[in-house]
Amino acid sequence: MRTLKTLATLALSAALALPAAAQDDTLKAMVMLPSPEGDVGWSFTMIESLRRVQAEYGDAMDLTVITPIPEGPDADRIMNNAVADGNEFLVLGSFGYMNGGIQLAKRNPDIDILHASGYLTEDNFAPFAAKYWQGTYLMGMAAASLTESKKLGVVGAFAIPELITSINAFALGAREVDPEIEVSVVWVNSWFDPAAEQDAARALLSQGVDVLFSNAQDTPSVVSLAEEEGAYVFNLNSSMKAYAPSRYLGVVGTDWSPWFAEKIAGHLDGTFEGEFAWLGFGDDVLFMADYSADIPDDVAALIAEREAAIRSGDFDVFGGPLVDQSGTERVASGASMSDPEILGMDWHVEGVTTPLPN
Amino acid sequence: MTILAFVFAGILAASLPLLLAALGEMVVEKTGLLNLGIEGMMALGAAVGFVAVYLTGSHVLGLAGGALAAALLSLAFAGMVLGARANQVAAGLAVGVLGLGLSALFGASYESFTVSGLPKLAVPALSDLPVLGGLFRQDVLVWAAIPGVVVLWWVLERTKAGLVIRAVGENADAARAIGYDVVLIRAGAVAFGGAMAGLGGAYASTVLTPLWAEGMIAGRGWIALALVVFGTWRTGRVTLGALLFGTLVLGGLAAQAAGARVPSQLLASLPYLVTIVMLCILSAGRRRA
Repeated sequence: MRTLKTLATLALSAALALPAAAQDDTLKAMVMLPSPEGDVGWSFTMIESLRRVQAEYGDAMDLTVITPIPEGPDADRIMNNAVADGNEFLVLGSFGYMNGGIQLAKRNPDIDILHASGYLTEDNFAPFAAKYWQGTYLMGMAAASLTESKKLGVVGAFAIPELITSINAFALGAREVDPEIEVSVVWVNSWFDPAAEQDAARALLSQGVDVLFSNAQDTPSVVSLAEEEGAYVFNLNSSMKAYAPSRYLGVVGTDWSPWFAEKIAGHLDGTFEGEFAWLGFGDDVLFMADYSADIPDDVAALIAEREAAIRSGDFDVFGGPLVDQSGTERVASGASMSDPEILGMDWHVEGVTTPLPN
Repeated sequence: MTILAFVFAGILAASLPLLLAALGEMVVEKTGLLNLGIEGMMALGAAVGFVAVYLTGSHVLGLAGGALAAALLSLAFAGMVLGARANQVAAGLAVGVLGLGLSALFGASYESFTVSGLPKLAVPALSDLPVLGGLFRQDVLVWAAIPGVVVLWWVLERTKAGLVIRAVGENADAARAIGYDVVLIRAGAVAFGGAMAGLGGAYASTVLTPLWAEGMIAGRGWIALALVVFGTWRTGRVTLGALLFGTLVLGGLAAQAAGARVPSQLLASLPYLVTIVMLCILSAGRRRA
């Protein structure tokens, strides 16, 4: 099916995406993403952020958007074509584009590539990711102040460190406010299956969960269901308040434009560096918005205080003591986790009740 | 609500898109054709159905529109295969790709929009049962599907129309010789299969998960195709397979929510394995009898 869809997409992209004529003084940029653009979510946020940068350059920058491209050999072909068409700045919006992207970067030293969620680097190939955990910690605090059952639920896409870390921070934040809170997780094992995502959310609700974390769903599947079922809910990347007007807890939002602008400027003046960028509150990439008005004032004040402390570096989300699910101490009191340790986190903290698949 | 109650409440609705598409394809295959475009037809049905419900608020229009759009698309397959004598596999795949493309086109400006689903109709008394109660609170389409499956079985197995359909599939020349219009009957079956796939897709996007997102059918068309084969083209077994698959998918999510110490990847692959094994055992048992 993947191949079929790609064939269809190829035909469409050939017809629609490549009419822009190359002009010598115009920066031609291309962004490629695995899910359709939509009005919310991962792809939407990434494209919007690039458009914001483009607006500043006006006619001097030309942006081509290509979606939805499944990860795989066809993605390689499409990014190669984009370079052949004169695109010199590429944003590859999915982990699975990594190997094709890095080969492309090696063959074309004159172009620069940004790659979401990866770990390989080249002089002209820079991976980036958001520190969602800084925000999910705050959302955990908010969730703890509103739950009655003391059970929080997470609908997760795949059990990879990026998602595990967000869940752990969520549990830590919740248990700072109320140490009795438990967090259950259901993994859908798919980046995109709205029906299964809703069923996963229903399964959690049937267990008495009354606050949901929609972790890496690119549609309002979980958010709209939560509104219907009367459970509080939050998600990542862009606000979905419109889908849960009365039950929306808030959003851990991303606006990549400050960092995109910096990298594009670097490309133009030749100072682009291929290094991993892990972007959080301090980079103005991560932001919190649309907090529920139901959050009690004292908790809201505490959340604001924590956010300020995370920004300033005075508060360490993964500061010890941290205990894992089996009760083993993983981070000693006073110690903290290094970036590589957080990036590779493959264990759940105490308070997350669901065993981690391995 | 206990975890079992959750599973019982959801089985029928979660299985319905698969069931509709699989039964439609079963009729197509009984006339001796194979339409591989189910995924695309479901996607088109889902997109058209969603847009219709979004614009008019009417689920009747949405479901009918989805079914009609997919039926029209399936007639493109009929035209290629029956009219132009094209290869069935290639034509089916082409129609599937076309359906996916068209669904993306029609749905483009509605990406991630939501609508309201259909209300649940409860059977008095039974729906108050503990654990099983949810089974008796379903939307109107699920209720309609139950007699629908029985009627389909009855038509295929107990009526002359069913006999003719099977005759066309098993010996087209003989059917033609005794005066049946094979092409017309096959085209009718293809349109029926398309309408059922479209209905399944429209149900998925307007009732089961009332939102539109490109790619939301997520492989269910291919599962429906497999169910027909493993259900050995028998109404009862295909139905059983669809229900079993739906149950296991929900069961896997439920087991995780309940904190079972089983890897989620295993739970996610279980529906495929168990459904195939069960249906193989069933058909092996039948051969011996």
